[in-house]
Amino acid sequence: MDKVFKGEHLLPGDLGQFFVVLAFGSALFSFICYFFATQETAPKSDNSWLKLGRLGYRLNTVAIIGMGVCLFNILYNHYFEYHYAWSYTSRELPVYYLISGFWNGQEGGFLLWIFWTAVLGNILIWKAKTWEKPVMTVMALTQVVLGTMLLGLQIGSMHIGSSPFLLLRNAIEGPIFQNPNYLDFIKDGKGMNPSLQNYWMIIHPPVLFLGTASLVVPFAYAVAGLWQRRYKEWVSAAIPYALFGCMILGTGVVMGSFWAYESLNFGGFWAWDPVENASIFPWLILVAAVHVLIVFKNTGHSYFTATFLTLIAFVLVWYSSFLARSGVLGESSVHAFTDLGLFWQLVIGVMIFLAITIYLLVSRWKELPITKKDEETYSREFWMFVGSVFLGLSCFHLIIVTSVPVWNLMFGTKLAPPTDPVKHYNVIQASFAVVIALLSGFTQFLKYKKTDTARFFITTLIYLVFAALITGLIVYATGFYKLHFVFIIVMLCSIYTIVGNGKILADSLKGKYKLAGSAVAHIGFGLLLVGALLSAGTQKVISENLTGEQYSTEFAKEENPKENILLYRNEPVKMGGYMVTFKGNTVEGAQHLFNIDYQRVKDGKVTETFRLRPNVIQSQGGMSSSPDTRHYLFHDLYTHITMTNVISTAPQEQEASHAEAEDKEYDAPVAHEIAIGDTMTYREGIIVLKGLNKNATLHNIPLTDKDIAVGAQLEVISHGKTYQTEPVYMIKGRAVFDFGKKLEEPGLKLRFTKIIPGKTPADGKVEIMVYQQPESKKKFIVMKAIEFPYINFLWAGTIIMILGFFMSILRRNKEVEVATAKVKIQQKR
Amino acid sequence: MKKSAIIGIVVIAVAIAVIISTYSNTSTYGSFNDAKTTKSELHVVGHLNKSKELFYDATKDANYFSFYMKDNKGEECKVVFTGTKPQDFERSEQIVLTGQMKGNEFHASKILMKCPSKYTDDKLNVTEAKAQKSANL
Repeated sequence: MDKVFKGEHLLPGDLGQFFVVLAFGSALFSFICYFFATQETAPKSDNSWLKLGRLGYRLNTVAIIGMGVCLFNILYNHYFEYHYAWSYTSRELPVYYLISGFWNGQEGGFLLWIFWTAVLGNILIWKAKTWEKPVMTVMALTQVVLGTMLLGLQIGSMHIGSSPFLLLRNAIEGPIFQNPNYLDFIKDGKGMNPSLQNYWMIIHPPVLFLGTASLVVPFAYAVAGLWQRRYKEWVSAAIPYALFGCMILGTGVVMGSFWAYESLNFGGFWAWDPVENASIFPWLILVAAVHVLIVFKNTGHSYFTATFLTLIAFVLVWYSSFLARSGVLGESSVHAFTDLGLFWQLVIGVMIFLAITIYLLVSRWKELPITKKDEETYSREFWMFVGSVFLGLSCFHLIIVTSVPVWNLMFGTKLAPPTDPVKHYNVIQASFAVVIALLSGFTQFLKYKKTDTARFFITTLIYLVFAALITGLIVYATGFYKLHFVFIIVMLCSIYTIVGNGKILADSLKGKYKLAGSAVAHIGFGLLLVGALLSAGTQKVISENLTGEQYSTEFAKEENPKENILLYRNEPVKMGGYMVTFKGNTVEGAQHLFNIDYQRVKDGKVTETFRLRPNVIQSQGGMSSSPDTRHYLFHDLYTHITMTNVISTAPQEQEASHAEAEDKEYDAPVAHEIAIGDTMTYREGIIVLKGLNKNATLHNIPLTDKDIAVGAQLEVISHGKTYQTEPVYMIKGRAVFDFGKKLEEPGLKLRFTKIIPGKTPADGKVEIMVYQQPESKKKFIVMKAIEFPYINFLWAGTIIMILGFFMSILRRNKEVEVATAKVKIQQKR
Repeated sequence: MKKSAIIGIVVIAVAIAVIISTYSNTSTYGSFNDAKTTKSELHVVGHLNKSKELFYDATKDANYFSFYMKDNKGEECKVVFTGTKPQDFERSEQIVLTGQMKGNEFHASKILMKCPSKYTDDKLNVTEAKAQKSANL
């Protein structure tokens, strides 16, 4: 089809597509060169394979940056001839959301992933020294596999990858594209899904993908170690990278739950949605791997487990991206993407890395440095190992349940996910958490290899009693005891972790600084568990419907208390300890902000007033509501709109031009005969006739001397607000007209219909027709308010844990440097 | 017995327990007819009958929403959902309900719906609505 289309900007797309192909080609080239560089046996080689490999990898990096620049250029300039720009952005989107539009689609996600792998690869070229050849072979292979995801090649009916530079006219079929001027009709893109229009969406995906990408490094080291038969050496080099992966992936996941907490209506920070679960598979396994790697480094035990977990963590990265992107979760997840036609490609991705793992472990099995000796029972390594196994089991459970649709696909079964997944996951995962939290407490008191048992038992017991006391207090004070006993035990174990590691931290300040990082990380982990338990366990819906306005009492009997309440505008309602009033809404762009005033009332006194502004966004033909939250130190009050009649998705009806049609919006009018200074009442307030304006003028209607136009100066006082209005009565020629006035806010229409002359001019009366809106036309919102207590523990715990990981990275990195320095000294000798 | 053997046994035991508990916890996809014969909760897949009334009046009860759904076998049933009407419900193409029969009504605790996106069919939006229950744990 050689049609020329007007107004298209093909350059950034063509350039972008060129970079896509270049990135793939150079990655493949780099992979081949590095592979041969690694296989070379002659020590005297001129390193040309290595140099070519580096060149290929750098070219790959340049191409990836080029892709990013092209795509951003397209988004920034609103080139809607590109499918990507049209699908995810629109003109009214602010620039910072254009950035998040960049990773809105799956292609953008792959682009981020491939970008971070490129960055990490360049760091490794610089840092990895003797490991460079085999490690970079794996990195380049990853780039090849990721590169295919972006290719967008069409071979017959099959296509490989999905390119972000696809033109709209090639993506969608439609008669509109027969027209060379089709761009004139596409003025704007579809816009971004409203729930993604949140500032967390700008930062969460890059961090998450950095975490995802960073898991390749420990994998690459493990592969290199097995491949090059440097079985023991790779471990200490890989530990800092594995810790980095734990830290960043953990941060990314928690940022996602921040987003869920703040913007989505899942009513919380974690909903056990399949896609959420998939994001922590690799994290759980990597955390387990780090522990076992450290065990091996210190004692030489558990080599196989350490290697296996490190390898499988990266395979799980691919598996979770398969779950999220292949459309397999379509019926069970809220977040899952639908299939872009990459289903089999993703399966192949998983298979490649799984095959490498299996091949290396099997072919090197007999050479692996596996100890035949058992660990001591009272040794740190033994319990660290047990803890890691339980982390693995917890992940195993998540995988089994989350993959139910995959099992259905593989075995043709028709299983459905648990009907109450939250309860299912909570109870089972809590049981794992008991073991893991308990172990991360007392294992810290043990020493590697052999420990003095008597002393260990005494310390453990003292701290356990201490933790039990604190737990008792907390459980009593927060009302947590009403929950399932498993959660109370988790609470006990988490607090035990905190106090136990608190002691270790205190010791480390006295000089045993080595353990500081791990102590801090474990304290953070404990605090995170405490925060999650308290917040999810004692969260309270405070918007209970106590008004008795219910559909039927019978219905109410079998169901829970109603959790949404109805607020008419300006009518205060008591909710929990608050009086809440819906004050009206303001429109800012696509956002409708609803002003809700809260007053905390205690013993008849108002102790606190504040306003929350939850927001409803209209976009992509739908509505999406995001909550507003009042943050306190120990709890958050979260409010969101579930329903409103203020805005509708249906196209606005034509403004009623006929007075009659308009009057239907009101109750039957009530006529009042009043004199100046008199007051009329209506349902929502009072109306006062302040005076008559004899010189009323009207737009577009010229008045002659004979005509009379009188305005009634009315003051409406409703819910503490005052409005002025002036309906006009007019005699023009022989005809009588009246010009009513509408007041939107108090829901009134007022007409000045008659002048009743009195004996004296001051005695005269006028007739005012009052139209008021019926109850059902009144503006209302239905909202839900939830109190999340102690959520700050969760966030604080996360930050502390990340800090702990960071401290550990510094320590382990130092160890690696010291070790390499020693090697160098030895070599010189 | 060696310690590693004990650990192995424990791991296998836990793994089996996990699989069994998962299997017993998974529900099944069924029809309204299946729902009438069982007392447990199950998933029903179907589509909205757009010709019959969708009832939601926030001014009467903000937590009552009812509609008629046809399951994949063509059987129709009235569905009651405790909660507000999910956004864009009328546009849904497919609905997955979780819940159980009470009398002649199907009481849904969760609604997962798929909407065609406005212009194309290349992307489906999935949204979920849950009947809100107070304690999450």
